[in-house]
Amino acid sequence: MNIRQALKMALRSILGNKGRSVLTMLGIIIGIASVMTIVSVVNGQNQQSLKQFEAMGTNRVSVSLSLYDGRDCFQDLYNYCNSLGKDLVVGVTPSGYANATIVYGTKNSNAMQKNQENMFSENGTVRTDVELPPDLYYGSDQYAVCNNYQLEKGRDLSFLDIRQHNQVCVLGARAARNFFGYADPLGKDLSVNGYPFKVVGVYAEKDPDSAFSQDNVIIFPYTASRLLSPGQSISDFVVKAASREATEEAVTRLNGFLSGLTGNGERGWGNAYSDNQWQNTLNEQAAMMSMVLGGIAAISLLVGGIGIMNIMLVTVTERTREIGIRRAIGAERSSIVTQFLIEAAMLCGIGGIIGLSIGTVATRITGKLLVHMDIWPSIPITLGAFLLSVVLGILFGIYPAAKASKLQPVEALRAE
Amino acid sequence: MLIEIKDVYKIYGEGLESEVRALDGVSLSIDRGEFVAVVGQSGSGKSTMMNVLGCLDIPTHGEYYLDGTNVRELSDRELSRIRNRQIGFIFQQYNLIQSLTVLENVELPLIYQGVGADERRELAMEALERVGLLGRIKHKPVEMSGGQQQRVAIARAIATHPPIIMADEPTGALDSHTGHDVLRFLQQLNKEGSTVILITHDNGIAATARRCVRLQDGKIVEDREQEVDWL
Repeated sequence: MNIRQALKMALRSILGNKGRSVLTMLGIIIGIASVMTIVSVVNGQNQQSLKQFEAMGTNRVSVSLSLYDGRDCFQDLYNYCNSLGKDLVVGVTPSGYANATIVYGTKNSNAMQKNQENMFSENGTVRTDVELPPDLYYGSDQYAVCNNYQLEKGRDLSFLDIRQHNQVCVLGARAARNFFGYADPLGKDLSVNGYPFKVVGVYAEKDPDSAFSQDNVIIFPYTASRLLSPGQSISDFVVKAASREATEEAVTRLNGFLSGLTGNGERGWGNAYSDNQWQNTLNEQAAMMSMVLGGIAAISLLVGGIGIMNIMLVTVTERTREIGIRRAIGAERSSIVTQFLIEAAMLCGIGGIIGLSIGTVATRITGKLLVHMDIWPSIPITLGAFLLSVVLGILFGIYPAAKASKLQPVEALRAE
Repeated sequence: MLIEIKDVYKIYGEGLESEVRALDGVSLSIDRGEFVAVVGQSGSGKSTMMNVLGCLDIPTHGEYYLDGTNVRELSDRELSRIRNRQIGFIFQQYNLIQSLTVLENVELPLIYQGVGADERRELAMEALERVGLLGRIKHKPVEMSGGQQQRVAIARAIATHPPIIMADEPTGALDSHTGHDVLRFLQQLNKEGSTVILITHDNGIAATARRCVRLQDGKIVEDREQEVDWL
């Protein structure tokens, strides 16, 4: 019997036992589709969080500091950080949040508020082309270093801008696009609460996929806060450490400095902590989540596998008789095993492909509905799930054949 | 001699206290063109006899020469070839493959023989025509009566035109009328030159054969020519 005959015979057998075929495939389909969907969506979300961390930069130390007499303490912090040296600290900046209305031509940040309603596209993903109001920050000349921005054109805030209370600003890439479109923002004056602020630079894009992008920002010299938000004192700062090791050292030193400055809490309060810590915590949580859901997925794959195994083994008696009949009318051992191998491979292959298709669709839909992301299935997971169920199916598919073909025909015929 | 067995034993659980001798030193020769009925009560070893003669089972001791060849020395491939080309089986329980249609069941031995699709279909249709089932070739076995299923099994057995037909209680599951048809068909095949071996517990059925071999407790107790009850 040649391969073409064997293929035809396997196909006939599959079509002749529709119930059994569907049940076998069902195990494979459910196993593959569920593993793909769960693991891919979780992976996709984790990667998204990681991307945002990367955009923000690592080795940041957040400092909260406020003195009860209301004195501006940034200068003290700035001087102290400079005294620590470039091996330990490479930058320090205020990270105060400003609240102001930005107007340029027909563009108005207040009017942009209502665009938040349109943040999600019809198919559930976040839109990155919606003009949302920018986040406004007060910074020093080291704001870019501390927050991982690269200058794309123009110049950054300078030490003199700070000293002389210059009315200038630097735009993040998306803020520049929202207000100026394809026009060159450099040298243009934005109206900030009615005061003119000249755009001197634009940062390169670093977080293109998020809705609330870190590129939708405008940075002002922190000394402009006296003009824009009089009476507000800045109490949040970011220190950029030179390395992972330097971060811990910097946190220790800064906390020492802060307790000195605040008189151990008598004249104010101050605290420094590493962003690495909560990044690590978040990463750990993500890994944990991956493991738990991966475990659930593995269990469903296992259940699918057991399903395949069951249906294959349940039909052993029936199939043993069939093998006995085939042997009695002249089938060789090798023809029997070939036929059953092809049959199992076809069944599992078809089931596997259906599972892959359903898994892909389910991943895309779940990704959009649950985490508002454009997620494609992860290839190693998909491949692993596919191979595992197909191998299981084939193994348990040829098991009865291999066993029964070794019997004398009469013993196989007697099976009940 | 077409079939010759010498001092054949089939022993289950040999050496144990509870050993069963299904065949206990049987010798038998059957010539080409004979119609032999093997008769015996349940447990007499008649089915074991057919399994051995049909190369479905291997005797524990003793030699079996089929057309001069010692069956014990044949490989699985050669035994399969003999079952495929030399012998057509008709079983009491029909032993059709339920998932295949009537036509596919009848074509099956021809597939294993490697006959091409067109010729295969022709031979299968010819066999089905002989048993009068041409109108039902697309049906599944379960959609048919017992008599019709047995006719499908007969068509499958004769599709390859084997020189030997072995029937194990072919009428056992049928009513007397359809059973009668089956037996008449076997006589017809014998007239056309096939060697027919019919296994039965029923003396009346055995009367359709020229030669009657009686088995009891695994031994041949009688082997005689008899008047044929032509149907």
